[in-house]
Amino acid sequence: MENNEHLFVVSVYSENQVGLLGAIANAFTRRSLNIETLNVEPSEFEGVHRFTFKTRTTLDKVESIVKHIEKKVDVLKAFYYVDNEYLVKEHDILASYIDKHKR
Amino acid sequence: MADQITDEQMFSGSEILLKSLIAEGVDTIFGYPGGQIMPTYDKLYDYQKELRHILVRHEQGAIHAAQGYARAKGIPGVVTVTSGPGATNVITGVADAMIDSTPVVVIAGQVATHLLGTDAFQETDVIGLTTPITKWSYQIRRVEDIQWAVARAFYIASTGRPGPVVLDFTATAQKGKAAFNYEKCNFIRSYHPYPEIEEKAVRKAAKMINEAKKPFLVFGQGIILSGAEKELQALVEKGEIPCASTLLGLSALPDGFPLYKGMVGMHGNIAPNVMTQECDLLIAVGMRFDDRVTGNTATYAIQARKIHIDIDESEFNKVIPVDLGVLGDAKAVLPMITELIEKKPREDWGLTSTICDAVEKHRVIDPEIHPESGEIHMGEVVDTLAEVSGKNALIVTDVGQNQMLGARYSRFNQTRSMITSGGLGTMGFGLPAAIGAKVGRPDRQVCCLVGDGGIQMVIQELGTIMQERTGVKIVLLNNNWLGNVRMWQELFYDQRYSSTRMINPDYSQIASAYGIRYRMVDKREELREAVEEMLSDDMPYILETHVLEEGMVFPMIPPGKNVNEIMLNNDDWFDYGE
Ligand SMILES: Cc1ncc(C[n+]2csc(CCOP(=O)(O)OP(=O)(O)O)c2C)c(N)n1
Repeated sequence: MENNEHLFVVSVYSENQVGLLGAIANAFTRRSLNIETLNVEPSEFEGVHRFTFKTRTTLDKVESIVKHIEKKVDVLKAFYYVDNEYLVKEHDILASYIDKHKR
Repeated sequence: MADQITDEQMFSGSEILLKSLIAEGVDTIFGYPGGQIMPTYDKLYDYQKELRHILVRHEQGAIHAAQGYARAKGIPGVVTVTSGPGATNVITGVADAMIDSTPVVVIAGQVATHLLGTDAFQETDVIGLTTPITKWSYQIRRVEDIQWAVARAFYIASTGRPGPVVLDFTATAQKGKAAFNYEKCNFIRSYHPYPEIEEKAVRKAAKMINEAKKPFLVFGQGIILSGAEKELQALVEKGEIPCASTLLGLSALPDGFPLYKGMVGMHGNIAPNVMTQECDLLIAVGMRFDDRVTGNTATYAIQARKIHIDIDESEFNKVIPVDLGVLGDAKAVLPMITELIEKKPREDWGLTSTICDAVEKHRVIDPEIHPESGEIHMGEVVDTLAEVSGKNALIVTDVGQNQMLGARYSRFNQTRSMITSGGLGTMGFGLPAAIGAKVGRPDRQVCCLVGDGGIQMVIQELGTIMQERTGVKIVLLNNNWLGNVRMWQELFYDQRYSSTRMINPDYSQIASAYGIRYRMVDKREELREAVEEMLSDDMPYILETHVLEEGMVFPMIPPGKNVNEIMLNNDDWFDYGE
């Protein structure tokens, strides 16, 4: 397992549901992780919100957090990056996800 | 269309809730009324034929009964309670259902929407309290949202990895009016309960199994939740793979199944724990590597390659790093693997289990279940029950020594025969869960194994048994101690018995106050006949057994030890050389 700490960006795309911020933030506090920055905004997809967290932790922990967050019923997708990695890929992944999971 | 609805076609929110439950196939509710759920209880009065309401004596009893019902029957259990204290009283059971993946739907009353946030009488932040311990929780504020929320609740609770859902049902929504046209939910775009199975992963798993000389499979409750008992049998039979169960996987394979080596974990059987440390491939199915199973995670199956098959991706590499995760429902994944594995001669390590079994029988089992003199042993009672019931009883345990010995010495002929609080270890679970199990499966003999500590946590539920005439057989294993804690004090805390001695009430008087048949046994010669008498009909019964006060549960892997470091008794450790 990798034990080096990095500053990670965790971005979460969810349905617009009351109480979800608390539920997602709880995934960090349960693992004793500090949230360094937090931003919530509507995403470029209709009805979908984006939460962006920064937290300092290890790769193992961030992977497990992201899987845990993605498991929440109202979360569509969650991603993580090392802080300065490029974020644009998300748009394409989300676009194909939303396309695939239409009724 | 919608604007054509006449007054007669409008229903109150409470009635819409009940009609929605009926549309989901619900016929039983466990609950307790109070102010903010009264509109719904009032409507329930009109639906007594369709919905049987079981009035418990404490809301914790309702949630545990619903859990027992769900686990015995394989469908969601339903609970209705009032706001505030009614809702907070179910919290323990909701947490229990979450960690043990039990489908329950809790409907709690809530104050009217205009009062939310004002500290109104019996207002509490139910969503805030339950979010971390539910699969989904939702506050229903508008009557128009009831059907949508109920449909989602049942879909979420019962699909994928099941779990509890809480609906916080405001008085405003209960009293509102709307039309009823129920539609079941089978799609949520952000929720995929049955992930697509990757063929590549299946092929890789089969290849790893085909390459293994000493494969070993450990399964958990996932097998039962998925209904994959037959598929599991087919896999291990074709591959000649010895296998073992976790505490919650018990009864998935019938007693005497040749490849079944027993239970893993702290008080499990010696053979499967030792085999975990000797196999060259560990296949984990529908289990989550609880620390009571793994002991020291740094050394757990360290020599083996590992495959983890589970429906919940977040379980992969959570505790134990694995070489391959196969995501999917066991019922679908296992046959795909079975098809690809070869029948192959394996390295003969039957000897390992033969030696371990012989040591365990001689050093642990025989002294526990066939003692020659002295007081009755707990294990002896469990063993007698298994024998007299013909291994057909559905066993519900409480927590503690009664649970561990119940798990060790019960024997099962059919699946869904062992209901116990595994992940949370909730004392007080047993009695109400047994009530729920019996309500759900009246055709089965339901026996509750419970200690003198655990029964007193929920003893008021004898009132529920009395009122409903629920034919639960209560086997009270009375050792006059909080036995499991006393045992740890003896082993790990220098025999300093801090607050574990318990003075007991006269249970015969309690039984007679509730009008439940009762018998006490403290002599070995009477035990079998007493169990026979208890099981001879379908009426509630309390069999109090006075068991050895300082009884122990062995074998034991002390916390943090490697799973092959096993105590046989207070002084001796398991050693191959014997
Ligand atoms: C709600 C709750 N409180 C405390 C515990 C800790 N605990 C685990 S086992 C046990 C003793 C149980 O005693 P008893 O019910 O008499 O059963 P025995 O172990 O003697 O079979 C205790 C206190 C628990 N598991 N659950």
